[in-house]
Amino acid sequence: MILILDVLLHLAIWLLLAPLLPGIINKVKAWVAGRRGPPVLQLYYDLAKLWRKGVVLSTLASPGFVIGPAVGWIAVLGAAMLLPLGPAGAVLSFRGDVLLMVYLLALARFCTAWAAMETGSAFEGMGAAREVSYAVLTEAAIIAAVLSLSVQSGSTSLVAMLAPAAGAGAMLLAAGLFTVLLAENCRVPFDDPNTHLELTMIHEVMVLDHSGPPLAVILHGAAIKLLFFAVLLTEAVLPLGKLSPAAAAGVLLAGVMVVTVGVGLVESLLARLAFRRVPLLLTTAFLLCLFALLMAWKGGAE
Amino acid sequence: MIELLLTISGVGMLVSILAGMRAPKWWLGSLLIGTLAGVIGAVMALTSGVVWDWRSELIVGGEVVHLRLDAVSALFLALLGLVGGAGAVYSREYWTERAHPRSAHMGRVWWSLMLLCLGLVLVTTNGLHFLIAWELFTLAAYFLVTLDRQRSEVRAAGWLYLAASHVAALCLFAFFTLLAARTGSWELGSMRDRAELAPLFWLALVGFGIKAGLFPLHVWLPSAHANAPSHVSAILSGVTIKMGIYGLVRFSGWLPVPTEAGWVVVVLGVASAVLGVAFALGQHDLKRLLAYHSVENIGIILIGLGFALVAAEHGNAPWGRLALAGGLLHVWNHGLFKSLLFFAAGSVLHATGTREMSRLGGLWRAMPWTASLFALGAVAICGLPPLNGFVSEWLVYLGLFDATMAHGAAAWAAIPSAILLGITGALALACFAKVCGVVFLGTARSQAAAHAHESGPAMRGAMLVLGAACVAIGLAPVVFWPAVVRAVDVWNPIWAGAETPIALGALSLFHVALAVLVLVAAVWFWKRVKRGHLARAVTWDCGYVAPTPRMQYTAGSFASIITEWFAWILRPVRHEHRPMETLPAHASFAEHTPETVLKYAVEPAGGVIMQLSMAARSLQHGRVQAYLFYLLVGLAALAVVVLIGVDK
Repeated sequence: MILILDVLLHLAIWLLLAPLLPGIINKVKAWVAGRRGPPVLQLYYDLAKLWRKGVVLSTLASPGFVIGPAVGWIAVLGAAMLLPLGPAGAVLSFRGDVLLMVYLLALARFCTAWAAMETGSAFEGMGAAREVSYAVLTEAAIIAAVLSLSVQSGSTSLVAMLAPAAGAGAMLLAAGLFTVLLAENCRVPFDDPNTHLELTMIHEVMVLDHSGPPLAVILHGAAIKLLFFAVLLTEAVLPLGKLSPAAAAGVLLAGVMVVTVGVGLVESLLARLAFRRVPLLLTTAFLLCLFALLMAWKGGAE
Repeated sequence: MIELLLTISGVGMLVSILAGMRAPKWWLGSLLIGTLAGVIGAVMALTSGVVWDWRSELIVGGEVVHLRLDAVSALFLALLGLVGGAGAVYSREYWTERAHPRSAHMGRVWWSLMLLCLGLVLVTTNGLHFLIAWELFTLAAYFLVTLDRQRSEVRAAGWLYLAASHVAALCLFAFFTLLAARTGSWELGSMRDRAELAPLFWLALVGFGIKAGLFPLHVWLPSAHANAPSHVSAILSGVTIKMGIYGLVRFSGWLPVPTEAGWVVVVLGVASAVLGVAFALGQHDLKRLLAYHSVENIGIILIGLGFALVAAEHGNAPWGRLALAGGLLHVWNHGLFKSLLFFAAGSVLHATGTREMSRLGGLWRAMPWTASLFALGAVAICGLPPLNGFVSEWLVYLGLFDATMAHGAAAWAAIPSAILLGITGALALACFAKVCGVVFLGTARSQAAAHAHESGPAMRGAMLVLGAACVAIGLAPVVFWPAVVRAVDVWNPIWAGAETPIALGALSLFHVALAVLVLVAAVWFWKRVKRGHLARAVTWDCGYVAPTPRMQYTAGSFASIITEWFAWILRPVRHEHRPMETLPAHASFAEHTPETVLKYAVEPAGGVIMQLSMAARSLQHGRVQAYLFYLLVGLAALAVVVLIGVDK
């Protein structure tokens, strides 16, 4: 009974709060630009509207075009279930769950790329190719980051790994993970969620042909993923495990807010990178995580 | 009981060899009985832990026949039986009498002979018999690879396979004869205390490494696996290259190894994993691409074995046990999903007549079963949950993470290995997103692809069996774990009995929940979308009016970002004719990725040997006077040697 309540609580937090983040980012961008901007709850309205709409399917698309986003959404949500929410903990926690989390994100990526290839369009193929190619570098960064957390905490279970602070390499890890967050969530400077120039996009171009409920699922999944990375970043850097439950919840919330506003500020102040430069920035993120790992390893040896 | 089953298995295989020529139904029946009995026997040995040991009166080559089935052998035997049986069923429809009147009957005989000899390699405990069985299965595999020998590329691939196999066999001859010379007997068994045998490991590494196809000894593998009939490709990739792994696991367990062995195996494993998948990304031939993925997966298995060796060197640390368990489970997993993928690729080849990905596309409509099963295999080989590939990679990762956390010298290898394993996973995902997208999705790029048809029940059935096995290991790894651990403990008895706290129960739970949710969501969501307003229209994509198949993204363009990163080793060959004039009339672009090691290392080395041989040939010219002169010089040289020897 308690388990079911626990699962429901987690589901409610992830499903209901996630669409808030893109709204906040847009508000920050509007504020910096001196506009009023869309309401913070705009994504909720969009999702509700899309869910009621019909679907236009490409004549080439198989059922996988519709099922892909659904499976990707479940995969991201599954990864979120493994991530502890501060004092609320994770739904399921076991030794090695951190790798399951990483590979669930990969499953979501496979599904998105699959759905993109369904339409036989060059643009969507281009987006899928970029997504899976750059993911090679982000994957390396994420593995280095979680390995550094493992070394720091002496555990391979997310709940134990994320309780203590990241130690000496915290700033490096924060910078590395923030860059990974921007890349994985297709934000500036890697991708521009506002652009309408298909040639320059990664994620947006993969979902060009989606409409109605499948598009709603994709947008909602993207919001969960953003929240997921914001929570991961906050918990990796701050020692939430050492605080009282109420303080931990407050700090987590504040951390997620800071990250979200930070994404908004980056988006307002930076321009999108040229594609040639993207691998360079991702390699930098990887190196930051790698140095965090080496610092953690060196720190533990003494 | 095991004895009875293995006898049935052996007799079944012998009957099938005899029946292969004339009676295909008898062949299939006896072969299925034989493989089934073999699988059951292996499973019993794995579950009970009983070691079956049988010494007969029969003498072959002056040595008594002595067979033994322990957990390590049984692990490989179970895979052999399953893939062998499934491949036989598949071949009844794929390589039929009608389509291949000249080779179908010999294909059946060689298939049975190869399965029998592979089984003998696994159970024999005599070095001489090991070599005989090894050579026989290598030859049987050669004839299977060249079943379609009218085509010149098949003959070339077969020749390369034969040459590489015999370099391997030469190393193994040296290995076994030196072993026999030092121990005084051809009998094999645990001899861990005889430290003077350690250097022999290097011979075994080269010999078994060539068979396993680890980088850079893999030169024969891509062309042989691509050009063989698909059921043969499946068993070559799924099982016979695992014989190399079996040899390495067996003899690194039985014999002492040099201290550096673990590190070398780790480096080779990591290189195979990353470069294997990088080469795969550069391929445009569906089966050649899958063949390179075998190099990658052999790499992952070797990372597991390498860390087990390092751990054994560092006080038998428990993380080595995890790494080896992951590696051995990956032997099964790779055997299953790679055979499945080759079967599916064969189904595509059967339906369209081409392996060229740039001629395929949109096959899901005509071949929904093949497309779905290929997708299943793709998810499994990318190591994605909830399928079996993830479970074994997860175990290897856990070993690497624990090795890093242990803060020993092993961490220096574990950190780069873990990161490169992550990169390998992401590259494999990129590669299979490419294959699935280009071959099965979108629309047909050629007439052949447009007129494809689904394969029949035998081919589908074989694929379904392997797909089901992939799902079973993925959803219930707890069931398979004891068997793998038993093999690991046979490899290093010091680990036996130790409890490795491993959260496979929780992982199983998560996988089952994930699989159920995915199925429910997929069905429900598709129905929900179909019930709503569903309109079909031409691909929108910001305003396509009349998209053509040629406008689709191709395999080459999909992989181009990554192949550019790896251009330093892939060395792709490009032929481009750019549109130059104001109104260009002609433009073309072609690119292919040759086998770098073969082209830049093996072929030049072969050229040097050829030149030296040609130079030596000028000694042979048919002039009697010169030959008399050689004799004289030879006699004089001998005389000098003898005189100097006497003086001493």
